[in-house]
Amino acid sequence: MKLKVYADRMSQPSRAALIFCKVNGIDYEEIRVDISKRQHLTPEFAEINPMQQVPAIVDGRFKLFESHAILIYLACAFPGVADHWYPADVFKRSKIHSVLDWHHSNLRRGPASYVRNTTLAPALGLPLNPQSAAEAEKFLSSSLSKIESVWLKDNGPFLLGGNQPSIADLSLACDILQLEVYLS
Amino acid sequence: MKLKVYADRMSQPSRAVLIFCKVNRIDYEEIRLDISKGQHLTPEFAEINPMNQLPAIVDGRFKLFESHAILIYLACAFPGVADHWYPADLFKRSKIHSVLDWHHSNLRRGAAVYVMNTTIAHVIGRPSNPQAAAEAEKLLSSSLSKIESIWLKGNGRFLLGGNQPSIADLSLVCELMQLEVLDEKDRMRLLGPHKKVQQWIENTRNAMQPHFDEVHKVLMKVKEKLQNQRLKEANKAGRSDMKKQLISRI
Repeated sequence: MKLKVYADRMSQPSRAALIFCKVNGIDYEEIRVDISKRQHLTPEFAEINPMQQVPAIVDGRFKLFESHAILIYLACAFPGVADHWYPADVFKRSKIHSVLDWHHSNLRRGPASYVRNTTLAPALGLPLNPQSAAEAEKFLSSSLSKIESVWLKDNGPFLLGGNQPSIADLSLACDILQLEVYLS
Repeated sequence: MKLKVYADRMSQPSRAVLIFCKVNRIDYEEIRLDISKGQHLTPEFAEINPMNQLPAIVDGRFKLFESHAILIYLACAFPGVADHWYPADLFKRSKIHSVLDWHHSNLRRGAAVYVMNTTIAHVIGRPSNPQAAAEAEKLLSSSLSKIESIWLKGNGRFLLGGNQPSIADLSLVCELMQLEVLDEKDRMRLLGPHKKVQQWIENTRNAMQPHFDEVHKVLMKVKEKLQNQRLKEANKAGRSDMKKQLISRI
């Protein structure tokens, strides 16, 4: 029974899960859940993820949500996923956890909130909130500075001085790209 | 060379790391940094953690920050840590990751922002933001409901139906302990509707005694001080009301 990935391609963490599957040749079925049409709020989807968020996966009888948990599960559960995505080495792995954790309260919070309060709001039928947008912009700037000076401190092309991408690069990049789409 | 744990016991995630070390008999040295005095903002500490946040650890040459990453590292790197803290089984482990991830944007954000903007900001002389407090309260309430109905679904004593605590229980309960410094009526208003949550907090505390209460002593002292202050202010207000009533009758 194929892995099922419940996703909305407008959702940054959904994209991270989909890209990971494709790059690693993981056989899966994408089930599109349209957030703008509130399809994530149906009782049927609540059976898949009671938090009613995307992405979520169903692998046989196993259900999982939260994109970082999903990326880690996929890296561990599917053969042939190269080590650089989620290294077995406890030190490298811990540093990746550190980035992924930091992400929630920093980069993820900034762009998601900024975009929601400026561009997405009308599409979602929500009022615009310029003050929240201003605060989100400050947060976003500070998060980008920290990526520049801390996570990209060493000389690798990827976070934490890596020469190959990890799930941390994938997750953060999907969030940064969300801005490009809306600010262009 | 002993593990070093940089912590402030008023910081919820700092407490989780300290309790984990004590319960698992991990030999460590605690280096106390006082956030209210800005000790986490020094250039010296930036060498340890460039994000200038607590907790942080140094294990030999290895430095690490973000409490969940630290708890996972400690569970993996130190022998004798029982499996239930961070199970080797991929399915159980993934569910724990799911709780820990959910925590950041839900319980942590709701509880920490609410407590900061109603109570702690005054204590440490920082400005408080009532609008942020109002929004945080909504998030906190909704997070508590989700813990009650989703993470505590089924009959286990701990999150995810577990009969023994994991690092997820430790992290979330340390966060909830911060509510102790609130005015008692606010704390009961927030926690009161959630019976399973209240029981789970007790289960988690009991599973980690005496270390849990020992690490929370600093917080409880702040709670006591604030309760006394509130009593004093209530008495003053009461006396001035009485005075007004007496004067109006003369």
